Amino acid sequence: MIGLCEEEQTELLLIAGDLFHRQPLLRELKEVDYLFRTLTKTQVVLVAGNHDYIKKDSYYRTFTWSSNVHMILSRDISYVEIKELDTAVYGLSYYTKEMEEPLYEQIRLKDDRRFRILLAHGGDERHLPFRRTVVDKIGFDYAALGHIHKPQELIPDRMAYAGALEPTDKNDTGKHGFIKGTLDENGCSTVFVLSASREYIHMEVEVEEDMTGFGLRSLLEQEIRALGMQNMYKVTLKGFKDPEVQFDLNNMDTFGNVLEIVDDTRPAFDFLRLLAANRNNLLGKYIEGFGDAEPDSIEYEALCAGVQALLETKRG
Amino acid sequence: MRLLELDIKNFGKFHNRSIEFQDGLQLVCGENEAGKSTLHTFIRAMLFGLERRRGRGAANDTFSRYEPWENGTYYAGGLRFECGGRQFWLQRNFDKYSKKALLVCETDGEELSVEEGDLDMLLDGLTETSYENTLYIGQLHAPAGQALAAELKNYAAGYYAAGDSSLNLAAALESLSAEKKTVDKEAKQVLLDKQKKRETVEQEAAYIWRELHHIDDKIEEVSEELEFRKQEEAQEQDKLENEWVKKRFTDVLRPAKWRVHPVEILVILGVIVLAFLLLPNPLNSFVTVVAALLGAIYTWNRMKIGRRGQGEAGIEELLEGIVPEEELASTDKLIWELEHLTEERKEKQVEYDNLQEQLQEQDELGGEYQKLDRRREALLLAAKRLEDASGSMQKDLTLRLNQRASEIIEAVTGGRYKKLAADEELHMGLLFQGRYAAVEQVSRGTLEQVYFALRMAAAEILYDEDFPVVLDDTFAFYDDVRLERTLRWLAGCGHQVILFSCQNREEEIMKRNGIRYAKTIL
Repeated sequence: MIGLCEEEQTELLLIAGDLFHRQPLLRELKEVDYLFRTLTKTQVVLVAGNHDYIKKDSYYRTFTWSSNVHMILSRDISYVEIKELDTAVYGLSYYTKEMEEPLYEQIRLKDDRRFRILLAHGGDERHLPFRRTVVDKIGFDYAALGHIHKPQELIPDRMAYAGALEPTDKNDTGKHGFIKGTLDENGCSTVFVLSASREYIHMEVEVEEDMTGFGLRSLLEQEIRALGMQNMYKVTLKGFKDPEVQFDLNNMDTFGNVLEIVDDTRPAFDFLRLLAANRNNLLGKYIEGFGDAEPDSIEYEALCAGVQALLETKRG
Repeated sequence: MRLLELDIKNFGKFHNRSIEFQDGLQLVCGENEAGKSTLHTFIRAMLFGLERRRGRGAANDTFSRYEPWENGTYYAGGLRFECGGRQFWLQRNFDKYSKKALLVCETDGEELSVEEGDLDMLLDGLTETSYENTLYIGQLHAPAGQALAAELKNYAAGYYAAGDSSLNLAAALESLSAEKKTVDKEAKQVLLDKQKKRETVEQEAAYIWRELHHIDDKIEEVSEELEFRKQEEAQEQDKLENEWVKKRFTDVLRPAKWRVHPVEILVILGVIVLAFLLLPNPLNSFVTVVAALLGAIYTWNRMKIGRRGQGEAGIEELLEGIVPEEELASTDKLIWELEHLTEERKEKQVEYDNLQEQLQEQDELGGEYQKLDRRREALLLAAKRLEDASGSMQKDLTLRLNQRASEIIEAVTGGRYKKLAADEELHMGLLFQGRYAAVEQVSRGTLEQVYFALRMAAAEILYDEDFPVVLDDTFAFYDDVRLERTLRWLAGCGHQVILFSCQNREEEIMKRNGIRYAKTIL
């Protein structure tokens, strides 16, 4: 990221909170500040988010940043002015893990700069909730948002979550990168730039009734090849499988990039046919006892388990 | 199912004897030892085979009892029967050398195989034991309840249920329980793995905690040292101030560099010169000498003090050479160290807090565990519902059984007893004049009738196929009225009834009442 800013001679780098996942150590701040210092053209503005919130003895309180780095340390809305760019950046830093007041909606503009940018962190109900329309009316040229890992544009060219640079856990699916924008007399225009070296993919695989363990493994290989070997996968098996076939889920990770396989398949029982053929015996009575269990309910799972147990233990 | 013809080749006392049976009531009359028991043993042996027992038991088993009296190696017979609208011919050799069974469907000429279970299929799950418990009704030797109760229970669980005689409740429950055990084990493993991860973090946290305390100790040490130095400095300062006060006037005037002030020397020299010039001779030479001496002594004294001071300083320097380096360190260095330690401590504290936060987050259980937990719940539910279903089937069955048995007992007793109630263990009670009486309290005849009703009801419920009912001198304890009612009921029940009797009572009653029957005399 820093290299890219230097290469493109970017003027302003906005970091919308949670630069660190937990409280930063002094040596970590020194490292990151060293990186910022290598920027010859770029001004950096950052705030503390709910993860690296400013605790009582947070290093953020005492750390002296390089001259091109501006951290908004105030816990109420305030702004930093960057004279070279004739720009004011508004924002605040977290001092607790949660802040439930809609502070961003209450901003009043006080500067007399040409451009105004909001650097905000949060947006869900426990982290500085705001309504996009209300914030949009305040008069910012652009609102750079952080907190939510998934990149999303709330108002085109005006308000967007950049998302995490790289996905941070297996539930951070989708593309990741940053937002690059130009702000001038003609207004703001932004574009999302893919930069993550891999993504987490939740892959649903439809299992066929006649599919064996080996067949499934081959199918997974094929799908992963198609979607990219560099990505990490969480696989969910759907559909109906032969009740007799047991998949060995520990032996499906051919390339070492499958994190988890969830087996949501249902045994391919034809309950109506089974019921019709067994109306007067235990199997029929058992199936009847479940009525119309919803296919995703525990009852349905119990129904399948019981029917399977009865059929598997049949004599002869 | 109807038995059409018994073709006894060689069995017990019979050989080459053929007996034909009709539909409906079939009376087989014979005096004692005429061979009635042999005949129904033959029927049973044809249907279920006749196995020789092993070892000592072989001497008195059924096989030996009915081994032909003549020509023992030829021990065989045949049975023609009708089942499901088709006619079959079953032939068996019982003797151990030529043991075999032959089953042919005479309707379409198809040859079937007894070994492969074709006969079992025709018998619709009827086994020798269940036959003896239901369709074969002899005299009451012992309350037949328990074996029949077990049979009914099995049935209730689905063993002999229509269309599928192979369901096995116990095994299914066992399979569910086994899977639950596996799931439990996996869930435990998940927890263990989690615990392991937690322990790693905890270990790291503990390590940092120890470091923190180590730093705390160091900070204390350095602070103490600094405090000590501060005090020492203060003392030094005090001492200096005190000395300042104590110093003599001359000391104040005297420049520090000089041990003896030049003015002092001039004064001394002046006094000597003045004394020599002003005082009269010879006193003056004496005073001059004395003054010179005094001056010399003073000067020497002063010089000595100075030299002593220098010497002491030298020893201190020597001593400093052997004190530890820490004490040697300058106060500035100590202050720097304290700052550094405080910073390090804060760094460690942040690291420690971060780890604690991580531990808290780790307490939440992941999806894998939840999935296992759910599976576990599903398995428990499945087992419970399976037992419920079997329980309700059993209740249902008991209810049907009671209903049918009540109808039969009502018919047999002419409405004296209208209700028979058997529980799941087949403990029976009779409703009489508004209250239930245990069957043990009724007369022997009524007791026989109760079991008759129960067996007939059970046979109807257990088997879809109407099997022939074999009655072996069942009515000895029946009075004429009830016997008549029973025979009427049997004539109308739709089963083929084979009635063995050593008396003429049954025939007379049937004749008198116009009940249709066929008769065979042994």
